[in-house]
Amino acid sequence: MAADGLHENETLASLKSEAESLKGKLEEERAKLHDVELHQVAERVEALGQFVMKTRRTLKGHGNKVLCMDWCKDKRRLVSSSQEHAVTMPCTWVMACAYAPSGCAIACGGLDNKCSVYPLTFDKNENMAAKKKSVAMHTNYLSACSFTNSDMQILTASGDGTCALWDVESGQLLQSFHGHGADVLCLDLAPSETGNTFVSGGCDKKAMVWDMRSGQCVQAFETHESDINSVRYYPSGDAFASGSDDATCRLYDLRADREVAIYSKESIIFGASSVDFSLSGRLLFAGYNDYTINVWDVLKGSRVSILFGHENRVSTLRVSPDGTAFCSGSWDHTLRVWA
Amino acid sequence: MKEGMPNNSTASISQARKAVEQLKMEACRDRVKVSQAAADLLAYCEAHVREDPLIIPVPASENPFREKKFFCTIL
Repeated sequence: MAADGLHENETLASLKSEAESLKGKLEEERAKLHDVELHQVAERVEALGQFVMKTRRTLKGHGNKVLCMDWCKDKRRLVSSSQEHAVTMPCTWVMACAYAPSGCAIACGGLDNKCSVYPLTFDKNENMAAKKKSVAMHTNYLSACSFTNSDMQILTASGDGTCALWDVESGQLLQSFHGHGADVLCLDLAPSETGNTFVSGGCDKKAMVWDMRSGQCVQAFETHESDINSVRYYPSGDAFASGSDDATCRLYDLRADREVAIYSKESIIFGASSVDFSLSGRLLFAGYNDYTINVWDVLKGSRVSILFGHENRVSTLRVSPDGTAFCSGSWDHTLRVWA
Repeated sequence: MKEGMPNNSTASISQARKAVEQLKMEACRDRVKVSQAAADLLAYCEAHVREDPLIIPVPASENPFREKKFFCTIL
């Protein structure tokens, strides 16, 4: 009936205006607690000394752009993936890869919309492809994957706008996470002490924190002006950093429920593709599309160093588990280990 | 009437309701002042900076990446 149509339209409009007013209230509440800036509190902290960080190893072996890498917990091995035909992967872009906590398997996926787990073997006669197990199945590309605290579960992020938690053994979907309005590009698990949450970032410019058990979004942050390419928890689990195509990195504190720092410079105009913290959380390493790596003082908000070396976009960056070095991967086909 | 329409609006209404529920939930969470949160971030850094090899470098002999002896191989 025409009357019903009108009723439905009114409900939609009133729901939208309720949402707008709630957003306004949220901003008000957050603003009330914004009593100081992080860098002001950090004025009393000693400035960092001069940084001498150099490429210590250059790993050449990929035939094409390096897209992703991850360290093994043994701190000496790493897995990396790239845009090329490989015997074991039938598709061209392997966009995500992760090492299992035990060091006995790796997970990877990309344009095949899947995340597959490969048990690792160093026996040259064994065909790794034969033991491959397809675990996750999305309806668009896989952008990120991570094992949870064991080899038994994998968390995935996808171009289909969702994240999902899977059981490795059965391939069963345990939980799905809906809320992003566009492709999800990255995710990071909270340090185990802080509970079962993870953060994701997407093309909708939002960073969202999720409860892994309920599938519920617990917090959302929308201050970036473009795609969020990378998210990483601060080591205490109370905050996380993000890197975006808007050429900034930002720090969000979960207990203050707001952005508390922006790492940017007028001279930096290319997107940040990948971020990671040093062990203490004092340094933030960020790889950019202008081929450089900027090192930021997380507390003071200033840049402490700029590292040159890559000859194309830096696409991935991870600090080693023991914090002695970090590795960057690039479209220049190489990986560099810096210390 | 237009039977096709209700499907579209039903979906939008349910989405709008979810958005409102989500915002209500986010509105009532506990928050701390930035000064408190900042103090905690600082405290964590200060407590762990001595164990951060990229800030307080360990002797070159203990950092395998600074040692020239080790090489990398593709496994």
